[in-house]
Amino acid sequence: MKETSNKYLISALLLGLAFHGSSIFFTLETTYDALIHLFFADHYANSWFEPWNYEWYTGFTVQSYPPLVHQSIGLLSMIGGLKFGMFSVALIAIVLFITGTYRFSLLMTGNKTVAGYACLLAVFSSSFVETLHIFGQLPSIVGVSVLMHALPEIYLWLKTGKKWYLATSLSLIAVTVTSHHVTPIFGMVFFIFPLIGMVIMDVSREQVNTMKEVTFKLFLNTFFKLFKRIVSFGMLSLVLIIGCIFPYWLNSKANPITQVPIPHGSRDNFLEITSSGLVFFLIPWGILLVLLPYIFYRYYSKRYLFFGLSVTICTILGTGGTTPIPLKMLGETAFNILTLDRFTLWASILSIPLMGEFAYRFVEGDLKELIQSKFGAVYHRIIGGILAGLMVFMVVFTMSLNYFRPSQPQKIKMLPIVNFLNQDDHDKWRFLTLGFGDQMAWLSAQTNAMTVDGNYHSARRLPELTTRPIERLENSKFKGVAGIGSLQQFLTTPEKYNLKYIFSNDKFYDPILYFCGWQRLRQLENGIMVWERLNIPPVSSILPKEDVAKWLKIHWGIMPFLTVLIAFILNIQMLWVNMLKTRFKPIPDFLKFPTTYKKFNRNVLRITHIWSIILAVVVFYGIYLFYLKNDSQRSPENAIIAYYDALDFKEFEKAHSLIDPESKLPIAQYMLEISVTDGLLSSYAKMDAIETEITKHNDSTVSAKVVTQWITPLEKIEKVDYKTLSKHKGKWYLQPDDLNNDLPPDQLYSDNATKYFNQGRRRITTEATHHEDILKQPVLEVVSAKLVQYDGSYAIIGEVQNIDNVPADVILKGTLYNDNNKQLATYNAKYHVKHKLMPKESSSFRINFEGIAWSRTQDSIPDTFNPDEFTPIEFEEQPTKFNLQVAGNVSGSDLYKNVVLSDINIKKGTMNGNLFNSGIQEITIPQLLITYYDANKNMVWVDHLFVKEGVRQQRKQDFEYAILKDGKVKIINDSMKNIFVNGLPNEDIANKIVPNRIVNHTNAQLQAIEHPDFSYIKIEINTYIGSPN
Amino acid sequence: MQLKRTYLFILGLMLLSSFAVIQQNETGNKIELLTAQTEFEVGTNIILKFSISEVEQPLLYCSNSYGSTVISSTLKNNTLEFYIPENITKKIGVVNWKLLNETNPLSGQFNINPKAEVATLETYIGPPSIEAGGTDYTMLVVIPTDSLDNPVPTNTLVKAKHQFLDSEETNDIYTKNLISWRNMYSKKESGRMLVSSESIGINSKEFTINVMPAIPTNFKIAATRPHNYADGNQITTFTTTIIKDKQNNVISDGTFVTFFITNSEGNILKTTGTTIDGIATSKIIHPDYEDSWSIKAYIDGMSESNNISLNYKQVIKDFDVEFLDQNRTITVGPLHSFMQQMIPDGLHVKLHIFKNEKHINTITKTSFNGYVNFKLKPAIYNNDTYNFSIETAGLLKEFKSKELW
Repeated sequence: MKETSNKYLISALLLGLAFHGSSIFFTLETTYDALIHLFFADHYANSWFEPWNYEWYTGFTVQSYPPLVHQSIGLLSMIGGLKFGMFSVALIAIVLFITGTYRFSLLMTGNKTVAGYACLLAVFSSSFVETLHIFGQLPSIVGVSVLMHALPEIYLWLKTGKKWYLATSLSLIAVTVTSHHVTPIFGMVFFIFPLIGMVIMDVSREQVNTMKEVTFKLFLNTFFKLFKRIVSFGMLSLVLIIGCIFPYWLNSKANPITQVPIPHGSRDNFLEITSSGLVFFLIPWGILLVLLPYIFYRYYSKRYLFFGLSVTICTILGTGGTTPIPLKMLGETAFNILTLDRFTLWASILSIPLMGEFAYRFVEGDLKELIQSKFGAVYHRIIGGILAGLMVFMVVFTMSLNYFRPSQPQKIKMLPIVNFLNQDDHDKWRFLTLGFGDQMAWLSAQTNAMTVDGNYHSARRLPELTTRPIERLENSKFKGVAGIGSLQQFLTTPEKYNLKYIFSNDKFYDPILYFCGWQRLRQLENGIMVWERLNIPPVSSILPKEDVAKWLKIHWGIMPFLTVLIAFILNIQMLWVNMLKTRFKPIPDFLKFPTTYKKFNRNVLRITHIWSIILAVVVFYGIYLFYLKNDSQRSPENAIIAYYDALDFKEFEKAHSLIDPESKLPIAQYMLEISVTDGLLSSYAKMDAIETEITKHNDSTVSAKVVTQWITPLEKIEKVDYKTLSKHKGKWYLQPDDLNNDLPPDQLYSDNATKYFNQGRRRITTEATHHEDILKQPVLEVVSAKLVQYDGSYAIIGEVQNIDNVPADVILKGTLYNDNNKQLATYNAKYHVKHKLMPKESSSFRINFEGIAWSRTQDSIPDTFNPDEFTPIEFEEQPTKFNLQVAGNVSGSDLYKNVVLSDINIKKGTMNGNLFNSGIQEITIPQLLITYYDANKNMVWVDHLFVKEGVRQQRKQDFEYAILKDGKVKIINDSMKNIFVNGLPNEDIANKIVPNRIVNHTNAQLQAIEHPDFSYIKIEINTYIGSPN
Repeated sequence: MQLKRTYLFILGLMLLSSFAVIQQNETGNKIELLTAQTEFEVGTNIILKFSISEVEQPLLYCSNSYGSTVISSTLKNNTLEFYIPENITKKIGVVNWKLLNETNPLSGQFNINPKAEVATLETYIGPPSIEAGGTDYTMLVVIPTDSLDNPVPTNTLVKAKHQFLDSEETNDIYTKNLISWRNMYSKKESGRMLVSSESIGINSKEFTINVMPAIPTNFKIAATRPHNYADGNQITTFTTTIIKDKQNNVISDGTFVTFFITNSEGNILKTTGTTIDGIATSKIIHPDYEDSWSIKAYIDGMSESNNISLNYKQVIKDFDVEFLDQNRTITVGPLHSFMQQMIPDGLHVKLHIFKNEKHINTITKTSFNGYVNFKLKPAIYNNDTYNFSIETAGLLKEFKSKELW
């Protein structure tokens, strides 16, 4: 018998390569994972045998992820660069997947035409499309593809007992292991166990005449007969799973994942969070959803019984948090570590052979006859058209998902950043990216500079990161208060991590950077703003690393390619046979069990019809609900939500379309009004939640109380608005709000200011900066400082003054000690200080000691995290002393001081006032620092207020501040002994410049308040200018 | 007896044999230092010569302050010659040597002395900015070095030169402990001091020291304003006199001055300014109600100004209030300014709303074309009887028992 080439397989390969091969160039780089693998590949390309990587997370080991795919990319990158390597490996993965599905389907169905159909359909399987083009999980694809290649070999070994097949199957398992670790482990359970069951069934079937005669007893007997083979295969593959990536297991044991679980969409309740349901359930299942009854019917036939169980478990586990079953099955730990979407992927891959079978029977088999005889030929064509249409729709929809809902920010040109890091020794410090998405991995791959962040969260080691449910600092704004809080901790104490540069692609983070004491350096030509922090020491030239034994390094460097080499040698012969037909070969055993497609079960067709109708109803109902929710003017609630959403996303035209047309507010005027309102709330807030309370007056007028929660980079804001809505022609509209009519007195006015420029190095040289080019650090004086306890938490408060003649950037670092001089906590002043001081300007300050400040970090971090409500841990040892280190550096930026406290009114615990902007810059976020004094005018506490609205030039902005109610402040220590300015004792240096200081000079100008605990307050104003010009 | 003899014999043998050893030594290798010179000038070739009677060539261990080395010799006519390598002869200081010969360990030392020439001047100065007044100083450190980068001999003359305002001075200083240094004290004046140094015909580059003014002394302030009405719109400007330090230097630009304003309520307002050429300017908007201000400026902890006072006259004498639209629309105005012109837009008008003598809300709005409209939304204010009071420009009007429906 001469074998012919399988034309379906050939066309599947050609189609797959043409379709996926050309589209990966547009999709792969914007996927979640691809660039991470690229970063790993870059690591191997540069240091193949050294597993320690310094670039992420202050150092981590790449032995935390199986290396084959990364090493392949790394090796190929030697030819044409990293991206060439990545695309080449992706093409190989596509070929492996298509051939893998062919061989798997052939094994399952024993029919080459059916297997051909299956691999043709697998090319367009939405789960594969999603895994490749949206998730970019190359190792996962390679792993599961090679596993599918291994399955026929395993079958043949178990069936025939020929040692050759044991060798080939084990060689392929080894490749699977080195490309992805989770795939072979779960693959054992979901692919190989059912396969063993099927082999036993087949062997039992050979002993009797029909499948019906295969009894449990016979099955058990056969099982014992094959027991040796099964066990030998099982044991040997276990050895391979452990042995091939032994350094990985060793590392997992040494550094167990002890982190707070990071939320993943695949664990959501898909009915509640429909976007997760779409991405992790609907898309991977795709057209297979319609075939579910057929799949279950076929897989629960006797021969495939175990595959039926396997596919059922995968399906259920894939539903994530929709039902409580996955949580119960996996247990708390596994549930929170695993991403459950992979179960859906496996379920869909398990279903591929049956999809092919269904297609075959529908196109040219018994199903076609059944439908044509029952419903007629036209119906058959229509159904075919619908199914094909659905398939194409799912593919197009999945491919374009990233286009309509980009998961990544726009592609960033990395070259200017790479150049910046390379020049002037900028890579001697760590950097941080903000708003880069997964492209940060691509930046890391291109530079030697190190970052505190990283993109492979399982490898994180800093407790500041592992104790927070955030993936990366980089995208912390999407993680709410916990994310912003974590970021703030890094921004407040950057010297701990040698973090000096921040590349910001998202202006959302600008205010927090400013108020944590960072300054803008410049905007790169790709639009990325570079922020820097002064007084950060460079990374030391010798960094700690966790070294591993030399043999582990060699094992890790050699084993993956060795497995590929062996698998290649052992299987190449098979490939020749299967693909190129060079030699005649006996038919493999699994082809001896073909299914006869003679009579399609009528009930299955009936159930499939009913199921399809149910699905269609559900889908249409879903679309209807979606329409109801999104028809912005159907109800007043919808109108309000749509309006706030539009404002949140800055879609002002849409917002204006919701404004009552009868108010005759032209869009030009509306845009003008919107565009002039700058400030924390209008420019830097992201809406977190919205609640509306509707009061109905008549059919066409309602009033609404709108409570909105906003996440801003600085704090969480709750805002209450009252809106009136009216109904015209069945549509609800909002009434426009009133406008601030404040009219500035001057059309044109001038302002003189002193500006500063620091040359940096005056000579253009790569040498270390000449000593005469280094400026003297400005002299600061700590006028007062004390350790206080307020509301259960400790803080150092005081007043610092720039007594030099140049403007200074101020960094205050406080350390707490107990009576035995044991260091308990250390932290920097965050935003309770004016970080930039003009000559002779002073500022009150407060240093909080947040969670990570304390030495015993792990114990102190509470489960629920609120950066504003940090609670010091219980100690036996209470802090009693403090040390304050103040560092001044010359800085010429952010020195806008033209803000005036123009009116103030204090009534019943509330202070109302006006800020007036007398200068020529628009103030984006004004901040008030309020210092409290007791009756003897002793400073006792410092508080702050961020005014939500900005102040335009020559205009007033009112503010309201609630004076602290509880005022029991305990002064623990007010000794000024351990205070150092630029490393010198505060007292000495101050006496030299201001020998006759007028003590408590401005105490005469304190604002008196009526309060049981406080008697006076002082107000200082700090300003953030969003866009200086 | 027999035993005793044996002992004696053995002892005798031992004695003999020891003699034999000594003799052998004495007749063996003898090495002597031939080079008598122990002072060398840096950069010259230094050869240590030893007389030797044997063919064996021991090594010479050499060490100076930069490190140690072992050198081998050449043998000429029973003379061992050790060429001291350049990296040692080019550095001044003591060189210790030791012949590595087990039997006859010779050791000694010689000095390499600096040349009396200067090739470069290594100059350091810091801090780069000091305070005027004669107490603060910067330190100039000059290290003259020869062509081989060695410090020159002690007591080499170095001229420390500086120019400040009209004076150009040269001071002679001498090197000691390899360096020469001088503290340069500031004068009473602030300004720029240029510093250089010279030694044996070689001059350093120019260094700049900024002499900054000292801390400010008391000053006076003044106010200018377009008119003295409390219109809540115009701007009053405060200026200081030229602020100087105690040496009469104008204080450095950018010095931060805070103007505290105490109004008639006793509340403290403030505005700030930074100096340019000693004068700080600061602005504040006029109040929108009759007020009298007392203003004093401070430079925190260092100096202060005199106290001045300003009065602002009331512009709005009275205003009308109209209730319309089931009393849900309240129109305030027209609001007239001092020449009966409409008040400039932006005057704050506050509506306090009371229900059963309880304050429920205050709405603040700004005037537009002399009027302000309040609309009371039924969602917030149910149909009931309310008391209102309207406050603007320091005036208060009350309206009792207004019914909304």
